[in-house]
Amino acid sequence: MLIRTMNRKWTGLFLGLLALLVMPFLSLEGLSFSGHVALGIFSMAAIFWIFEPIPIHATSMAVILSQVLLLSDQSVISGRLKLLHPEGYTAPAFTQFYGTLANPIIILFLGGFALAAAAEKYKLDRNLTRVLLKPFGTRPVMVSLGVMVVTAILSAFMSNTATTAMMMTVAIPIVAAVSRDDPFRRLIGLSIPVGANIGGIATPIGTPPNAVALAALARQGVIVPFSTWMMLATPLVVVTLLLSWWGMCRIFPPRIERFELRIDSTFDRSPRAIAAYTVFIVTVLLWITEKLHGIPSGVVAFLPLVLLPAMGVLEKKDIRGFSWEVLWLVAGGISLGLSLQQTGLAVWMVGQVSWEGFSTTGLVVLFSLVGFLVANLVSHTVSATILMPIAISLVLPLAGGVSAALVIPIAAIGIIVSYANILPISTPPNAIALSTGLIESRDLATSGILVGALGFIFTILFGLVLWPILL
Amino acid sequence: MSETISILCVDDEPDVLDVVVRELASLEDTFPLETAGSAAEARECLDRLRRDGTGLGVIVCDHIMPGENGVDLLVAMAGDEQWRITRKVLLTGQAGLEATVRAINRAELAHYIAKPWENRELLHVVRRQLGLYIAARGLDPLPYLRHLEPGQAAALLRHMSDADR
Repeated sequence: MLIRTMNRKWTGLFLGLLALLVMPFLSLEGLSFSGHVALGIFSMAAIFWIFEPIPIHATSMAVILSQVLLLSDQSVISGRLKLLHPEGYTAPAFTQFYGTLANPIIILFLGGFALAAAAEKYKLDRNLTRVLLKPFGTRPVMVSLGVMVVTAILSAFMSNTATTAMMMTVAIPIVAAVSRDDPFRRLIGLSIPVGANIGGIATPIGTPPNAVALAALARQGVIVPFSTWMMLATPLVVVTLLLSWWGMCRIFPPRIERFELRIDSTFDRSPRAIAAYTVFIVTVLLWITEKLHGIPSGVVAFLPLVLLPAMGVLEKKDIRGFSWEVLWLVAGGISLGLSLQQTGLAVWMVGQVSWEGFSTTGLVVLFSLVGFLVANLVSHTVSATILMPIAISLVLPLAGGVSAALVIPIAAIGIIVSYANILPISTPPNAIALSTGLIESRDLATSGILVGALGFIFTILFGLVLWPILL
Repeated sequence: MSETISILCVDDEPDVLDVVVRELASLEDTFPLETAGSAAEARECLDRLRRDGTGLGVIVCDHIMPGENGVDLLVAMAGDEQWRITRKVLLTGQAGLEATVRAINRAELAHYIAKPWENRELLHVVRRQLGLYIAARGLDPLPYLRHLEPGQAAALLRHMSDADR
């Protein structure tokens, strides 16, 4: 096992570096020299992200470095750049690549991190869980629905992983008392990761693949407001969540008559906690009402970033505790997308296959299928990052300058990636759920196939029928 | 692949060792239980763990034993780089004040359980100490999650992000 892991890592490292070095010396027809260089970087990134010889965020950092060194105005080969790029590639300022770290979508996520950190610190997440679960009563199937709904709501604003960790540690001690052969244990053990994985889709800050899709759209000049994303994604989340719950209750019918998920916690009423709640509510309200006041969500996101530390709600150690590596991961993807477009690589790649006869729907189904399969094996963010620049180049000419015609397919692909949760390694929430011992791998596979199928079908359906009306 | 973390129980009375092992049996699928009837046997066990590259999360040790006593063993372990961060628990009815103070000051004793102890008290303590060991080592908590105290598990999981695998 260890040897196989080592081999995989070394193979990945070797292949990735080989791709980076060899690609620029090939002469592929129709591809510029800078396109060859970009192809080398893209291949290295894809291989590294999939084989993981180095951590995935380190790969993103390596992508930005390679771009600065090979494709920017500060390129090490800059003296010979004109020679090497005879077709007249204008090397972008290196600050463009560095700048991806301050992309409005990255700042949007950073604002989300600040809110989530404040919510966790003052146990807002636990208290909301307690309050929101109450109306669901004590019938086991209703408790399961409550757990799924609450997890989904929280994970729409916090990370899927943090939400799962919180819910699991709340639920395990109580569920552990249920008889071992009662399927109810598995029902709850699955309700949490399923709720978290689906809930992340609901808002732009819910999960990184959403950011990848939004960044790809923004690069084409299409800015999707926070509320617009929610308007598209929330009905889908509600429908797939309810049907998943219904299906899971059929597969894992509870035997116990009554179950109470008691949570001991009270709302913190200290001034700082109240400040945290206020900032949370104000920020979310401003995000949802973006269309009324016109302040972009990426700007609003800076509000909690200033207010929470200023009011002492978040201390230095809390800021250090943000998942900075997630931001690096997404920024590297955005940066890579820049070069794919600027060097003409994306258009060239798309041109290698004859897409004639493919409708936009056909393309979305194809890309979603590939994205779904890949995302079960590698990180969702990585899967979206690799596919998105290619998908958008394909869809762009078909959209004919209509922004809705661009938003629908790209959002659909980005969203379907989040429904890929069949294996324990598909997402961290799955890994956490499995390690609690409440469920087994095959339970995850069962729920994963059910939820994945529902997500796939309904996303395509909504994209065809509902979204065109909403946009 | 996750690292194996063992638990070592040292007591010269086989009956006591039996009770200890029975109380900790539920942890054994994840944390192998090692037993030793004396400090000398414990040292042999430590050598074996060192050779195998197995970590030692917790040692539960009696004090008064024939030969080397428990506190001396713990102090020696505290001076050994490999066992310095192993969580050290004294399970005894007869350690005097002096020996106990020495264990706290020189061996960074993590917990003292007086014999006879209450049912499940030992299990509770060992689980907590395992959590602290995993936190101190910065290990991925997932392989051990099912045995950790929920509060601790939540704190350990906080370091995971959506980009983790």
